[in-house]
Amino acid sequence: MMQVAIRGLWGRKLRTVLTALSIVLGTAMITGTFILRDQINNAFSDIFHESNKGIDVVLSKKTAFTSDNGTTAGPLPEAVIATAKSADGVDKVEGQIQATGSIVIDGKYVTGSGGAPNLVFSYVTEPFSNSQFISGGPPTDNTVAINQKLANDEHLQTGDRVKLATDTGVVPVTISGVFKLAGVSSIGGATLVVPTFHNAQQWYDRVGKTSVVYLSAQQGVSPAELKQNVEAVVSNDVKVQTGLENADQQTNDVEGATSFLTYILLAFAGAAVFVGLFIIFNTYSITVAQRMREFAMLRTLGASRRQVMRSVLLEAALMGLVASLIGIGFGILLAIGLNALFKAVGVDLPTAALTIPIVWSVLLPLGVGLGAALVASVAPAVKATRVPPIAALREGFTLPRGVLAPYIPYIGIAGAVLGVGVIAFAIRAGGGGSRVLLTMAAGAIIAFLGMSMLSQLLIVPIAGALGAVLEVVLRVSRFLGLIRDRIPVLGPLVRRVAYGLTLGYVWVGIITALVLLSILRGGLSTGSVIGAAVVLAIGGILFSVLWRRRLREWPWDASSPTAGVLARENTSRNPNRTAVTSAALMIGVALIVFVAVFVNGFKESFLGAIDRSITSDMIIQGQSFQTIPAPVVNAAAKVPGVATASGIQFADAKIGNGGIDTVNGVDPTTFSNVYRFDWLKGGSDELLRNLTPDEALIEEQFAKSHDLSPGETFNVTSIDGNKLHLTVHGEYKDPSLMTGFIIPSSTLNTFSPGSKDPQIVLVSFDQGPAGAQAERSIRQALNSFPAAKVQTNAEYKKDAENFVNGLLQFLYVLLAMCLIISLIGIVNTLALSVFERTREIGMLRAVGMTRRQLRRVIRYESTITAIIGGILGIAVGLVFGWIVAQGLSDQGLVFVVPYSQLVGFLIVATLFGILAAILPARRAAKLNVLEALQYE
Amino acid sequence: MNATATAVVSARDVTRRYGEGDAAVDALRGVTLDIVPGQFAAVMGPSGSGKSTLMHILAGLDKPTTGVVEIAGTDITNLSDSRLTLLRRHQVGFIFQFFNLLPMLTAEENILLPLRLAGETVDRTWANEIIDQVGLSDRRKHRPSELSGGQQQRVAIARALASRPAVLFADEPTGNLDSTTSGEILNLLRTMVTTHGQTMVMVTHDANAAAMADRVLFLADGEIVRDQGRSEASEVLAAMAEVSAL
Repeated sequence: MMQVAIRGLWGRKLRTVLTALSIVLGTAMITGTFILRDQINNAFSDIFHESNKGIDVVLSKKTAFTSDNGTTAGPLPEAVIATAKSADGVDKVEGQIQATGSIVIDGKYVTGSGGAPNLVFSYVTEPFSNSQFISGGPPTDNTVAINQKLANDEHLQTGDRVKLATDTGVVPVTISGVFKLAGVSSIGGATLVVPTFHNAQQWYDRVGKTSVVYLSAQQGVSPAELKQNVEAVVSNDVKVQTGLENADQQTNDVEGATSFLTYILLAFAGAAVFVGLFIIFNTYSITVAQRMREFAMLRTLGASRRQVMRSVLLEAALMGLVASLIGIGFGILLAIGLNALFKAVGVDLPTAALTIPIVWSVLLPLGVGLGAALVASVAPAVKATRVPPIAALREGFTLPRGVLAPYIPYIGIAGAVLGVGVIAFAIRAGGGGSRVLLTMAAGAIIAFLGMSMLSQLLIVPIAGALGAVLEVVLRVSRFLGLIRDRIPVLGPLVRRVAYGLTLGYVWVGIITALVLLSILRGGLSTGSVIGAAVVLAIGGILFSVLWRRRLREWPWDASSPTAGVLARENTSRNPNRTAVTSAALMIGVALIVFVAVFVNGFKESFLGAIDRSITSDMIIQGQSFQTIPAPVVNAAAKVPGVATASGIQFADAKIGNGGIDTVNGVDPTTFSNVYRFDWLKGGSDELLRNLTPDEALIEEQFAKSHDLSPGETFNVTSIDGNKLHLTVHGEYKDPSLMTGFIIPSSTLNTFSPGSKDPQIVLVSFDQGPAGAQAERSIRQALNSFPAAKVQTNAEYKKDAENFVNGLLQFLYVLLAMCLIISLIGIVNTLALSVFERTREIGMLRAVGMTRRQLRRVIRYESTITAIIGGILGIAVGLVFGWIVAQGLSDQGLVFVVPYSQLVGFLIVATLFGILAAILPARRAAKLNVLEALQYE
Repeated sequence: MNATATAVVSARDVTRRYGEGDAAVDALRGVTLDIVPGQFAAVMGPSGSGKSTLMHILAGLDKPTTGVVEIAGTDITNLSDSRLTLLRRHQVGFIFQFFNLLPMLTAEENILLPLRLAGETVDRTWANEIIDQVGLSDRRKHRPSELSGGQQQRVAIARALASRPAVLFADEPTGNLDSTTSGEILNLLRTMVTTHGQTMVMVTHDANAAAMADRVLFLADGEIVRDQGRSEASEVLAAMAEVSAL
C-alpha cells in the first residue's frame, strides 16, 4: 500500500504541490516565529548577562506589582549609596541615573529606529561599566558619551558639540566618546546617551536621587552573601538583587514583550493552517471521487476496506510530512532573512548563533503539518472505503450519499450559531487575557466550520444571482461589441483601444496592485478610482499601439451570455465542492474584515472621544510615546496668548486587594478649561475644581467593576508601594481616554513619583489676536523641549490615524497569506474540475466552443466562486466585528462598517478569482478535442 | 474535380499516421471520398480499420498527415484552431455514442447550446420544430439524468441539427442503446435525411444501422475497400464478412 501511496502522489504532482503549499506556508511561519523568538530572547539575554557581569548586587526601588503599561517606580534617595557602602563585604558602590532623552540636531530630536526608546544612563566606572569605547572616553562635566549606532547614524564624532534634550531644557554638550555596548552598536535600535552621574541628576530632575545602585563584593564574598548583608542595612522599600537575578529579570521583561509578537505570528500561522485544512479536504474529496475505479479495482484484487483507507491516509500523511519538512526549511531561511532585515533597518541585535529550538520549531510544525494533512483527509478516506468492487465494472458509478449528508447544512447552522455564541460569551465574560482570546478563537473556528457546511445551501442562490449579473454584463458588452463593429470609421480605432483594455491579465495585475495599495492606505478613494481609470486608458492605448500584431485576430467571437450560464451551472452542480473552495477564501476575507471593523471601530471611538472631550487648541505629546518633561506645562502656560496649559499623567495602581487600573493625574484648577467631561450622577466641572488631595473622580466602568458610588471610599497602592485612601467625589463617563479614576496631579506626584511627567499636555488659546499668534509662539517657546511634540488637534488626530493605519497594514500583510493559500485552493479545485470534465470539454469544443470561450467559462466559474467566498467572508467578518463591538461597547468601542474597504476587498476577491483561473483555463484550452472526447 | 465543388465533404488522398519510427501506425493510407448533399453515408469496418479516424478527420476534429479535406467548400487542413472551431460550430453537427450532454442543463438548453455559443439569436420556430420532430416536446425542462438513454440521444440529435449544419457526423449513435430504442433513433436519423435533406455520415458496427443509409463504405486497414449503395442488412453483413476476411 505504501507503494500505491507514493505512486499516487507522484502521479499527481501538480495537485500534490498545490495542496502541500498551504502546509508549507503555515509550518514555515511556525518555525520562523520560534527561531526568531529564541534568537531575539537569546540576544537580549546575552546582552543583559554581559552587562551585569561586573555587578554583584543591584539596588532599585521595590515595586508593589508589575505594570504592563510601563509605569515605573520612582528613584531611590541618593543616601542609599552611603548606606549600602556600610554593609559588610562591599568593595565598590556606585549609583546610576536612568532617564529618557536624546541628542538634538538642528532643532530635531533624534529618535531611535523602529520605535526603540531614547535612553539616558549616567556613566558608571569599572567593574560596573559594560561599554567599550571605540573612540574618546568617559564623560566629564557637560560632556556625554554616545552609543556607536547613534554616532554613525547622525555622523557624530568625539569632540563634536551637540545639544541634549533634558527635563530642564536643551543643554549644550560635547561628545566625550563613542562606545559599543556589551559588544553591539545599539540594543535593538535604542539610542543611549551617557552623561556623568552629577549632570544626569541635574538635567533629569534627580538631584539627591539615584535610579539604581550597583555594588561589587570584596574578594571571597559571594553575590548571595553580599545581597544578604546589604538587605540588612537598607530600608525595606529597596529591592536588592544579585547581578544575575537582575539580568534574568531584565531578560524576562523583554521576553514578556516579545511573546506578544510571537503570539500574533502564531495566530496567523494557525489561520493559514486552518485555511489549508479546507484545501486538503477538498482536494482529497475530489481525488477520491475521481479514483473510484481505482479503489474498486483494488477491492476486486482483494484489498480490504482498511487497506483502501490506509492508502488514502498514507498518501496524505506522506504529503503532510514532506510539506512540513519543506516548511521547516523555509522557516529557517525566513528567520535568517528577517534577522538580516532587522539589521538592515537598524534594529541591531548581537549576532547570536542561529539556534533551532527542536521542540518548537521542528517537532511542533511537523506535528501540525502531519496532523492537518491527516485530519483533513479522514473524511475522504472513509468515503473511499465505501466504494464497492462493482464500481470497477460500471460506467459512471456514483457513491450513495452518506447517512449524515442531508443533515450537514443543519449541523452547519448549529455550528455557526454555537460559534458566534461562544465568541459573544467570551466577550461578555471579558477581562481580556489569553483565555478570552483562546475562547474567541475556538468560537471562530466552530463558526467557520459551521459556515462552510451551511454555505452549501447558499451556493446555488448566490451563484444564481451572480450569474444573472454576469449575464447582464455579457449582454451589454455584446451589444457594445455589435455597435462597435457597425461603425466603420471608429471601428479600427475603438477596436484597437478596446483590445488594449481587454489585454486581460496585465490589467488584472495592475488593478489588483492599485486596489491593494489603496486599501493599505485606508480605503478606496475617488482619487484611486480615477487613478486606476487613467492608468487603464493610457495603458490601453499604449498596448494597442505596441501590440498591433495580435489585432489580426479581430473580430473575436461575441462574448456569449452562455459562457456565463455554463459558469454559473458549473459552480452549482457540486455545491459542496464550491462551498469548501469558497470557504477557504471566506475565512481569509472574514478575518481581514473583522480586523478592519475592529481597528476602524477602535480608531473611530478614539478619534470621536478626542473630538468630544478635548476642547483645547493644541495637543502636546512626547516623542516615541515617551513622557513629556514636567516643566513643559509651565513653559507652555507662560506663552503669550495661551489661556490654559494642563497636563495629564497616567500611572497604573493596584485597587484595594486586587486588580490594576489607571490613575489619571490632572491639575483640578485648570483641567476643565481644556477637557469636556461627560458627568454622571450630578458631577460637574465645579466638582473637579474642588477636588482635594484625598478625593477621586471615577469613571463609569471603574465604578461598576468596583461597585463604588460618590461618597464611598476605596484604597489604592502605587507601584512604589505608597497607599492612598480615597473618597469618591464624583462620576463621569469616558471609556476611551480617561479610564480608571482621576486624582489631583499633586497627589499623584508623591503617590507614584515615577509618573510625575505628563503623557499629554493640552493647550488652549486666548480669544482675540494674541490667541491667533499663540500657535507660532508656543512652537517657538517649546524649542527648548524637543522631546515634546507640539501639534494642533488635527495633526494629533492624523498622527493617531497613521499609527492605527500602520497597525492595520501590518495585520493585512499577515492575513494576505491566508488569501494566497485560498487562491491556491481555487486553482487546485478548478484544475481538478477541469480534469474531471475532460470529456465534456471535448464535446463543447466539438460542437463549436472556441478556446477563448472555454477559458472564459472557467474564468467566470472561478470568479463566481471567489466572489461567493468574498461575500460570505464579508458577512461573517461583519457579524464577528458586530458581536465584539457590542460586547465592548461599554468600553467605548463603536461598530463602524468600513464601506470603501469592503468594496476594495470584494474587488480583490474578484480579481483573485480571475487570477486563479489562469492556469486551469489554459490547461483546459490546450486539451486536444479528439483525445478529450475519447477520455474515460 | 467537379465532384468536389458540389460535395459537402470531400477527402483527397488522405493519410493519417500516428506515432513515429518503428512504432508508427498508419490509420489511413490514402482515402479519397466525396459526400454529396442529402446523402446518408454509413462507414463500416472491423476494429482498427480506421473508420473512426476517417470520421474524425472528415469532421475537422483531427488533421490528416497528408491529403486535403474540404467541408462545405472550405479547405480545413490549414485552418487555425479558432477558424476550425467556427467552421465546426456552423457547418458540422455531432452525435456521440455516449450522448455527451451537459448534466446541469435542461434538454432544451442542451439543444440550443451551439446556437448560444455562437451568440446567435435563436430561431424559435426552427427550434420548436426540431424538438417536436425528435419527440421531446414534453421533456424540454428535464435534465439528462431524468431522461432515458434513447431520450438523451434524441436531445443529442436535436442539438446537432439546431445549427442547420451542412453535415452531421454520428459516431456509433446506437452503440449504447437497446435494440428497440436503436430502431427508433435510426428511423429518426433517416427521417431527418429524407425530409430535410440533411447530409449525414455515420460510423457504425451495426448492420441494421448501415442498412438505413444511402451508401455504405467499408474500410479495412486504412483504405476504402468497398463502396456500395443502399443495402439490406444481410448484404451488409455479407460484405462485412468478406472485408474482414481480406
